[in-house]
Amino acid sequence: MMGKAGVTGALMVLLLQATPGWAEDPDTPALSFDGFGTVGAVHSNEDQADFVSEPFVSEGAGYSADVSARVDSRLGLQLTANFAPRHTGVVQIIVEQRHDGSYTPTVEWANLGYAVTPDLTVRVGRMVLPTFMASQHRKVGYANTWVRPPLEVYGLVPVTNIDGVDVAYTARGHGLNNRLQVTFGGTDIDLPDDREVKARDGFTLANTLARGPVSLFASYSEYRLSLELRPLFDGFRSFGPEGVAIADRYELDDKAFKVLAVGASYDAGAGFLTGEWGRTRSHSFLSSSRGWYLTTGYHFASVTPYVVLARRVVTSNTSDPGLSAPQAQELNATLNGLLSDRPQQRSIAAGARWDFAPGVALKGQFDYLDLDDGSRGVLINEQADFRRGGNVCVLSLTLDFVF
Amino acid sequence: MNWRVVATGCWLVLSVVAGAASADPVVVVSAQSPLSTLSRDELTDIYLGRLVRLPNRERIVPIDQVERSPEHDAFYTAYLGRSAAQIKAHWSKLIFTGRGQPPRALGSGEAVAEAVAANPNAIGYVDQAFVDERLRVLPIE
Repeated sequence: MMGKAGVTGALMVLLLQATPGWAEDPDTPALSFDGFGTVGAVHSNEDQADFVSEPFVSEGAGYSADVSARVDSRLGLQLTANFAPRHTGVVQIIVEQRHDGSYTPTVEWANLGYAVTPDLTVRVGRMVLPTFMASQHRKVGYANTWVRPPLEVYGLVPVTNIDGVDVAYTARGHGLNNRLQVTFGGTDIDLPDDREVKARDGFTLANTLARGPVSLFASYSEYRLSLELRPLFDGFRSFGPEGVAIADRYELDDKAFKVLAVGASYDAGAGFLTGEWGRTRSHSFLSSSRGWYLTTGYHFASVTPYVVLARRVVTSNTSDPGLSAPQAQELNATLNGLLSDRPQQRSIAAGARWDFAPGVALKGQFDYLDLDDGSRGVLINEQADFRRGGNVCVLSLTLDFVF
Repeated sequence: MNWRVVATGCWLVLSVVAGAASADPVVVVSAQSPLSTLSRDELTDIYLGRLVRLPNRERIVPIDQVERSPEHDAFYTAYLGRSAAQIKAHWSKLIFTGRGQPPRALGSGEAVAEAVAANPNAIGYVDQAFVDERLRVLPIE
């Protein structure tokens, strides 16, 4: 795998070298600069934990702030270069709350593309994975009807972008459009506690078939994930074969993480209906989960009301008897803490998007989360007085823009 | 009573009313274009960036009118069944995933007519008044 800094630096040099004279097609600008962003405010009625829109951030709404601007606010800037009809380059930088609470800009996309034929494109660099239907533009609030993609599905997979290679092939005939995309690579994901998840040997295969207003989507992803939790699992191993078996079962050390997703969407212009279903499998403390959502809405001139129904459950065990030795109680408790920490909830959301000016949309959304017994749902920063398995109401207001 | 003023006033009111209710823009190609007809789905796919090549494998060059122009809104509402905001949201998805840039937008029907007339692979939409012998109105089935 290439170093992140090296790839980005090389791409920046190439992009900056692109001058308008390079473009052979006068209709395509050689260099375009675009941006998107969201200014958001979120309130949660649960003040003993934080509601967040991304799993690996530091703070959200509820405990850390009564009204939080951190949950949805972000700014994205993109430079797109068309060096020649066949060569393209993209660098997209996003400023938003990171794992450590800082707003250090991060590189979301940085790749060079080559069109082998008009239907076959190869890209090298950093790409956002097409794990779910809206994964690649999930952060572009203006592109989406909702305030944010349903967390029950979009929060299932910790790996969102990778450094590697991507091949996309489009085919058309009989009114059908098909796009097949394969992405290979790996990445490192920073966690709030300064640890790091390493994703290696990853690939995602995604296919979208569309005919008129109907789109059908399916994807399969697989990575090998590692997260170092040495003290815990070495502790188990020190208890002999019984402990070794537990450590091997739950330790995330070069373990396969598999994701299967399917989705369908109908959008004829005025009304739309979209549903997605996803399943993850991991033979580790990350557990296996399943999530789905169903959303529908209607465009009444500039106002689009919508509703979302969603569910996320853990399909593997959420507890383990652990070791019988009394000295292992603390280890057992830590392990069970990890196992019961996986989100399980159902939610219903209702909201409206108002396109009141070109390139600007105002959205309001109300979310009612019903956490499963013993689960924190998608909330983080649980405090001592937090009651798992309760209900949470979240109110969000965002202003999304593109330029 | 100054009848000339009244007549002019009536004419102005009528032309505003007629203008507001004027016919939708027509879809045009160059007289040299290989296209003879398009289905509504094909036209939709061309303007949403999903259909990029003509049957002869040449690249289609769709030409847009600028946002906030009456033709822009009328075209997308009448032919694609989508508002200008929906179109912008759609292109945001493609731009910010590195998959494409929206069609070039020109500031007047005259400029679109010129650009389409000059390129046999181009397609555009204009008010009927800008159609001349260099252009062909494409029936949309």
